[in-house]
Amino acid sequence: MSIEAINEQLLRAIGVGVALISLDKLTVDYRNDTFNEWFGDNESASKLTDFFPSLDLDQLSTAMKEGGQLTTETSFKLRRRKMTVAMEFNRTTDVNENIAVLVCQNITRIKELESMIDSYSMMVERNTHEIKREKEQVEKLLLNMMPRAAYEEYKTFGVVSPRVFDPVSVLSLDFVGFDTLLARNEPGVVVSELNDIYSAFDRIGAQFGCQRIRTNGDSYVAVSGVPDPNDDHALAVANSALRFLRYLERRNATHPIQWHARIGLAAGSVIGSVVGAQNYIYDVFGSTVSEALHYRSVAQPMTVAASETFTQRFEGKFQASAVSEDVSGQSARQYMLVQEASDQERKG
Amino acid sequence: MEKSLFDKYGGFSAVSKIVLSLYDRLLDDDDVGPFFDDVDMPKLIDHQTKFVSSLMGGPASFTDDHIARAHRGMTIEDHHFDRLKVMVAETLSDFDLTQDDITTILDGFEKRRPLLTENPDVN
Repeated sequence: MSIEAINEQLLRAIGVGVALISLDKLTVDYRNDTFNEWFGDNESASKLTDFFPSLDLDQLSTAMKEGGQLTTETSFKLRRRKMTVAMEFNRTTDVNENIAVLVCQNITRIKELESMIDSYSMMVERNTHEIKREKEQVEKLLLNMMPRAAYEEYKTFGVVSPRVFDPVSVLSLDFVGFDTLLARNEPGVVVSELNDIYSAFDRIGAQFGCQRIRTNGDSYVAVSGVPDPNDDHALAVANSALRFLRYLERRNATHPIQWHARIGLAAGSVIGSVVGAQNYIYDVFGSTVSEALHYRSVAQPMTVAASETFTQRFEGKFQASAVSEDVSGQSARQYMLVQEASDQERKG
Repeated sequence: MEKSLFDKYGGFSAVSKIVLSLYDRLLDDDDVGPFFDDVDMPKLIDHQTKFVSSLMGGPASFTDDHIARAHRGMTIEDHHFDRLKVMVAETLSDFDLTQDDITTILDGFEKRRPLLTENPDVN
């Protein structure tokens, strides 16, 4: 077998479509089996445009004159399958004949894979987006249950170790006659109002640097100085306390259900931690918390009570008056915060 | 949490081969193939990728509503669905899935039969 014959056999057998193009006549003068398999072996078809109707002949001739090379793609259906073939025209170096070799590579699989990767990455992106959204919801929920610093610790280590916060101030509030309120009104209405009130307290507290730690029925506990230190912690709870009462007064003036709160304040140290393995909740403990609860229990309706030491912190910013001897004996005197001194000055 | 078949058989790298193999089978099949005569390749590949991935518990999940809508207007007979099931089974066994896993996948597939074969009257 001659070299030419072997070459021709090889050309026929390879999985690449090969054709020789006469650039003067724009005809297909030779094509191998693979080429015929893809583009039809119609003997009478010889014009380049018979095989590739969409081929830009001007572009081809310009490219052949200039660089001698043109790369393009063509798509067609073979049975049901969309085939994509990459075509490369290379002008030969033969000076006597103006011909180009057309090499066609089947890139259908690559196109199919590209489509699949596109489709898959879109799926993954959508999933990632959904997971991100769920994560944000969980984060939001957890941030309602604990301060951000505790949440960050929980996220990193899976636990929140108890920590002493010192100095901080605690505000404890409850409502006088809450059980009667519940008994006399539609419970759903009472709870819904309570929800409004607590939400308002949260907003007011946030304004002054107080954070709600927990609510339990009609009991509301907030702190200032946990987890981020606050030099004005006592001022923050006192400001919040007076505004809680002012908010309730205004609310009571226009609503049928009357809410009468009593508030106890105390300053000192607390221990903050997440409690519970399953139903975890962030809470604060310690004698300061107990003291705030104590003053709350002895406060008159719609007043704020605290110890003398506590009230002395304000250096004239608030007016405090001793209201009664504390019968329980825990503290010598009970003090009631009346109003901001500056308020009175303004009014005066 | 139990590992999904998607993860068990190597995630997308394995699933991609299953998808292309199933795609070849479907197009070459004279019963089921004609349904895809006028479907554009990227759309069909997209459909197959999601289909195989959801069968194996991968990232895609179809609601029944979505499946019903995607096949609306096609006259899919029970024998078409049976044929597709055979092809899915053949493809999966080519990729060395255990018989138990193939059965699990086909059961999930079978549950969706009414969504494809029943043509509700559109009023």
